[in-house]
Amino acid sequence: MPKIIAIHSFRGGTGKSNTTANLACLLARQGRRVGVVDTDIQSPGIHVLFNLDPKDTPHTLNDFLWGKCDIGRAVYDVSRVLGPEEREKLFLIPSSIRTGDIARVLHYGYDINLLKEGYRKAIEQFALDYLFIDTHPGLNEETLMSIAIADILLILLRPDQQDYQGTAVTVEVSRQLEVPRMFLIVNKVPAALPGDALAAKVTAAYACDVAGVLPHADEMMALGSSGLFCLTHPDAVLSRILEDILRRITA
Amino acid sequence: MNPGAKKILLAGLAFAAVYGLLNNLSNIFLLPSAPIISLRPQIALPMAVGILVHPLAGFITGLAGNVIGDAISGFGAFKFWNWHIANGLMGFIPGLAVYRYIHRIDTVRAFGLLQGGIVLACAAGVGAAVVLDVLFIHLLTFPASFPSWILPAFLTDAVNGFILVPVILLLARRIRLTLETRTILMITGLLVVSILATAGAITWAVLDDLVSHSAMVENFYIAAVVSVLLLVAGFIAAIVFVRKVTDPLAGLARAAQAVEQGDYDLPGLAGVSARTDELGRLARIFEQMAGKVRERERTLQRQVDELKIIIDREKQAQDVSEIVETEYFRTLKDKARKFRER
Repeated sequence: MPKIIAIHSFRGGTGKSNTTANLACLLARQGRRVGVVDTDIQSPGIHVLFNLDPKDTPHTLNDFLWGKCDIGRAVYDVSRVLGPEEREKLFLIPSSIRTGDIARVLHYGYDINLLKEGYRKAIEQFALDYLFIDTHPGLNEETLMSIAIADILLILLRPDQQDYQGTAVTVEVSRQLEVPRMFLIVNKVPAALPGDALAAKVTAAYACDVAGVLPHADEMMALGSSGLFCLTHPDAVLSRILEDILRRITA
Repeated sequence: MNPGAKKILLAGLAFAAVYGLLNNLSNIFLLPSAPIISLRPQIALPMAVGILVHPLAGFITGLAGNVIGDAISGFGAFKFWNWHIANGLMGFIPGLAVYRYIHRIDTVRAFGLLQGGIVLACAAGVGAAVVLDVLFIHLLTFPASFPSWILPAFLTDAVNGFILVPVILLLARRIRLTLETRTILMITGLLVVSILATAGAITWAVLDDLVSHSAMVENFYIAAVVSVLLLVAGFIAAIVFVRKVTDPLAGLARAAQAVEQGDYDLPGLAGVSARTDELGRLARIFEQMAGKVRERERTLQRQVDELKIIIDREKQAQDVSEIVETEYFRTLKDKARKFRER
């Protein structure tokens, strides 16, 4: 049964796109067929991590939402990031970076049934096992849609008070949307903080499972958003934790 | 007989046979030494057996070996029985002195005990032989026997043991090469070589006069005693010197171990950090470092304690209701429920 995994955070800068891309790559590496949808229509960015040039993406999620094209035409094979010979493992549905396209979607909005139907078709057409939804931070109508559609919701937060408060709202709203499975991921944790203690506290505060605690990684910082950490540093602690997270959420 | 005792007895007797043969050889091929007591490097054997096997095995080697040696040399097996006891003691005492370090001699302390035990063993052995002679045998005359028997017996055995036993223990890997043992071995070696070379050169220079002028013999003994005293004094000084260097290092190692186990109180380091030399500086840097680590750990612990997740539940409820009570949310929820039910 294919699963839709939405990744959300209350505030920006939590490392959402990076985490999404890395988790998707790891799953693809394990032999699953994985898709990633960039629903961050206001500020798309994940295509950069997959080396997808907007010039090469004549069709995007925006085009599908306006009925300009079939969803299949907005799906791009980005398996090459896994290795030069790799094909048909990892797919991306990008958002348009053209300001006109962005304004139009934001102005008119779109319907959840249409989005859901698009995902269903993409999953079917490309025989996907997992579809990751990278969302815009905050709780606007579009992100609520992504949460409502998800089989598994991952909420990223950093260990600071603003994130703690916003995450509390997100968790409660997601519960009311009856998301089947929900996990928290604490990201950018200072290396000095004990991960286990932090995980226990977060679990207790939100009555929600913590899938993993990711340390603030200097290597990841150095790479910026130009590379996929789990591919370039497969043996680093961070990559191991990402693998653990996958094991937990796909169990 | 229990296996330990059997092993001690067998080893003692086996080495006694070797020791007896060597004693016989040195009685045939006299090495230059005193007129009657020959230079006996083989004395290192019962001492080494006493250390490597068991003090009692060393005792048996010394005692029985001397009986065998006297017997095959034609002196009569038990005529000089007091010297059998002397040899037994020389095999027994060094093993006893380093009994605590039976498996490894790896510190200056252990090495000092070893060498001290050897010298003490020779003094005790010769002393016992003299006392027994005075009480029962009446062969020695005083003071004439002192330079001709007693002193040479003590000096040659002590110097031979002092030099050869460490060599045997090194070969047997009982002396482990550590910073401490390397240093003390090097200094001891230099000490032995320099003093023996000087003494040897002097002896060689006056050898002819010694033979023709017996009066000089006494002066020669004085020189020998002075040499040995210099050796002992130098050795003690070396031990003190080496320990002044290695004790602080051991203290630093213990301190590092303590820090590794999360103990930042380093009372053992106070003496070291008071030194004005490089080791003192190292100790002070180490103390500062441990202090900083402790401080960092405390800060971290505080942060962890403070790592409270404070959620304003009232504000949360308000924010949630603002979202979920909208028409949009209700519709969304219905739609989501529908396609989940599908």
